[in-house]
Amino acid sequence: MGGAGLNAWRDGIRRVNGAPALAAALWALTLAVTLPMALAMRSLLARHLGASVAAETAASGVNYDWMQEFSDQAAGLGVTFKPTIIGFGAVADNLSAFLDHSERPVVIVAAASVYILLWIFAAGGIIDRYARDRPTHATGFFAASGVFFFRFLRLGVLQAIVYSTLFSSLHPLLFERLYPKLTHDLTVERTAFLLRVGLYLVFGALVALCVTVFDYAKVRAIVEDRRSMISATIEGIRFVRRNAADTTALFLLNFGSFLAVVGLYAALVPAVAGTGVSMWVAVMTGQLYLLARLWVKLVFWASETALFQSRLAHVGYVSRPEPRWPESPQAEQI
Amino acid sequence: MSRHRPGVRGRDHVVCTRRIRDVLVTTLWISTAASSLASAQASGGGITPPLSPRNANYTITARLDPAARTITGSETITWRNITARPATELQFHLYWNAWRNDRSTFMHELALAGQSNGPRADSDWSRIDVNSVKIDGADRTAVKRFIAPDDDNQDDQTVMAVGLAQPVVPGATATIEIAWSAHVPRPFARTGAIGNFFFIAQWFPKLGVLQDQGWNCHQFHAGTEFFSDFGVYDVSLTVPLGWPVGATGVQVKRDDNADRTTTYRYYQEDVHDFVWTTSPDYLERTARFDHPRLPPVDMRLLLQPEHASQADRHFNATRTTLKYYGEWFGPYPYGHITIIDPAFQSGAGGMEYPTLFTAGTRWLAPRGVATPEGVTVHEAGHQFWYGMVANNEFEDAWMDEGFNTYSTARALAADDTPNFLALRYFGGFIPRVVREIALSRETEGNRLTGYRHDAESDLPSTPSFRYFPSTGGSITYNKTALWLNTLERWLGWPAMQRILSEHFARWRFKHPKPDDFFTVASEVSGRDLTPFFDQVYRSSNVFDYGVQELQSTRDGDHFHTSVVVRRHGEAVFPVDVAVVFRNGDRITEHWDGEDRWKLYRYDRASEAVSAQVDPNRVLLLDANYTNNSIALEPRGSAAATKWSLAWMVWLQECLLSWAALV
Repeated sequence: MGGAGLNAWRDGIRRVNGAPALAAALWALTLAVTLPMALAMRSLLARHLGASVAAETAASGVNYDWMQEFSDQAAGLGVTFKPTIIGFGAVADNLSAFLDHSERPVVIVAAASVYILLWIFAAGGIIDRYARDRPTHATGFFAASGVFFFRFLRLGVLQAIVYSTLFSSLHPLLFERLYPKLTHDLTVERTAFLLRVGLYLVFGALVALCVTVFDYAKVRAIVEDRRSMISATIEGIRFVRRNAADTTALFLLNFGSFLAVVGLYAALVPAVAGTGVSMWVAVMTGQLYLLARLWVKLVFWASETALFQSRLAHVGYVSRPEPRWPESPQAEQI
Repeated sequence: MSRHRPGVRGRDHVVCTRRIRDVLVTTLWISTAASSLASAQASGGGITPPLSPRNANYTITARLDPAARTITGSETITWRNITARPATELQFHLYWNAWRNDRSTFMHELALAGQSNGPRADSDWSRIDVNSVKIDGADRTAVKRFIAPDDDNQDDQTVMAVGLAQPVVPGATATIEIAWSAHVPRPFARTGAIGNFFFIAQWFPKLGVLQDQGWNCHQFHAGTEFFSDFGVYDVSLTVPLGWPVGATGVQVKRDDNADRTTTYRYYQEDVHDFVWTTSPDYLERTARFDHPRLPPVDMRLLLQPEHASQADRHFNATRTTLKYYGEWFGPYPYGHITIIDPAFQSGAGGMEYPTLFTAGTRWLAPRGVATPEGVTVHEAGHQFWYGMVANNEFEDAWMDEGFNTYSTARALAADDTPNFLALRYFGGFIPRVVREIALSRETEGNRLTGYRHDAESDLPSTPSFRYFPSTGGSITYNKTALWLNTLERWLGWPAMQRILSEHFARWRFKHPKPDDFFTVASEVSGRDLTPFFDQVYRSSNVFDYGVQELQSTRDGDHFHTSVVVRRHGEAVFPVDVAVVFRNGDRITEHWDGEDRWKLYRYDRASEAVSAQVDPNRVLLLDANYTNNSIALEPRGSAAATKWSLAWMVWLQECLLSWAALV
């Protein structure tokens, strides 16, 4: 099962590694979105610490008493400053929040919305680059992003409907109704945990299926230059259904990569240290981890593109012509 | 103004001398306390001579039907009026009627606190129905009635009054025979049944406490606990064959019956409540507490199979309590203690009863985190504060919960129990130990965060059952623990230990009131502590001292230094003000803390580098400690950079997680 999936995964890795600027640009994009908020948080922290000698221990290690005091008095963005940000806790917290559908403060939701919008814009250029498997340069990238932005925005509406159904209807059904029912008379915590893991798997599998379908919808929209996002989604479903083994194998390989990156970070993340070199080592480690996560995300798309194209008569086929400016001498005279 | 700056050698000598003195004082105290209890021999639940008045004695027979979740019981109470007033009626607690429906005072308060147990099936509610009452042989069933002394809630049936044909005069005894039946609820407030786990607390018709002012028999409230007189409990419990029972006291008899049931008889003297539990799933472990100067204690642990590997952690934590509480306050005289590890979702964890307590742990309980140690030490500690020193928990809950929170934190620290922060993920099942954060006794042990949130929510001197339900705990537990620890840091541990041990000695097996403790504290410390108690007990004002300004400017070969300290909060406490100079000199001023602000000026050869109010953090109730200091070369900016960068990684990770859906 899934030999093509393995080949596509390898091909995807090759394509992503062949365009390192994309990963770097996305890292920069992530930094650009988060840096202003980090500066705002810095301002909050600095204001609270003021000239206090409490800053000495906060700078050289962890001053938990101060963190608690700040947290107790914080509002808005400040309420997210908790010990869970320390080291691998950040990853555990986000994964847990994702699976448990924990509420985040409005300011974080707003930032996530902007970030997702930017990803929707970039998706066209990214997948187009991987589909063509050759440099498209900035012009080609932005042209594709521009062309597909509104299509993917329409797809985004569809995605929003599906995901909100999953998170707002199915998740409560599984975890707020079914789980309490299943564990109503349980007196063994381990059993309750196993049941919860089972529900995580069910929910996670459904999310994964939707993500995969929408990924192939995007791939087909770009490779086949589809205008209708409904038809692209239907074709995405058909593709996943007809190639269930390969798409599943590919998903598992990519998900395995994600787990490997997370596991590696868990092993390597440095303990909280001072404000000198050790701080920058921690920052660099964190950023390398994020780069690796972005790489995994890109390999997802690139390998799915490769798998889809491997099913076509002409490998590497992309329906839409690569944009060239000027298109003609006449056009230049306009 | 003090400028004392002892050398290292001198300081060590002082510390060493103090330690020797502390050990001697502690040893002397244990010897004295132990000798006062030396004649008290504990065996089989009996204690000779009696330690308490034993004026409310219960002989109970009860039978559990686990399938129907019912208890059928009868009891004979021998009650002696030890007050100066005649009793014209008797008042009984019928606690389980609090969960008869959602119209009880308990349920109203639960709703007020924003806590809802969700919809319940009829079979998940409870009730206790008194079928007959005889007093001195006369049937008084017809005259029983429900009363609601706290709020006149006509739907509350948690207090039953029975008029007497003849008053019980001071010193006289009444014999009360009651037959009742009860339905066991799905767990409510640490009581009830889930699956085949039964935890049966506050389960029998129980007399209130007659005082010179009249009956003290409060309705059941959501935020407070219990109050009753000491006595002898002789209880026979019939449960299915093969279901072990844990209960207050000592098992003195066991009979396997023909109907595949077993009747256990438990007996205990000098206690004021009786609780029991049964489940076929319990594993049983035993161990012993031995100490060169304290009485031995047999420990029995009934635990869940999934926690089998944690048995030693429960025993060691109980030993920690018996050792330190015994050394600091007084010996534990019963000779046995039962630890219950309750079932998952039973809600029975973390509760105290005489000679038995429930601990509480998790399936995944990593080393380095004080679970189950924290709750075990706390609940075992209640044997001292509640079990023996039996204050009225309806009215003065802080006297046991606050004392015990303070004592728990101190015992865990004295024992060096590792106590790192643990964060739980994925439905709360998966713990992650944050090794960078060792929880401190002073702030985390005494629960500063909760107090900070609710500091002004209630006046501590308000009767506890009138505290706002959702914030009362912050006053009862947190504020009390913080001011007790503040008192310790202010007076020193030897003085504090003497205060607590004297309070324990004076009030064990009695019912102290707040003023009793305040009197002991002032007497033993040799100073009038009324102003302190006015601040922390008779006021809800917040403490907040700070340094408003620090300047140090050169003038020739000298530096003019000025420090302005300020009292931001309404509450007052004497604090030190420390000014540190670049050459290492340190000046400590003593400020009575009363004025709104105070200015200190210095002309010295060295410039100041920092100023700090309460540098030793004596005043643990200070709600904002970060503003207590100013450094002239602050590192706030560097710290803020470091932590905002760490936070940014969390944020980036968070955004990337959601971007997976694009």
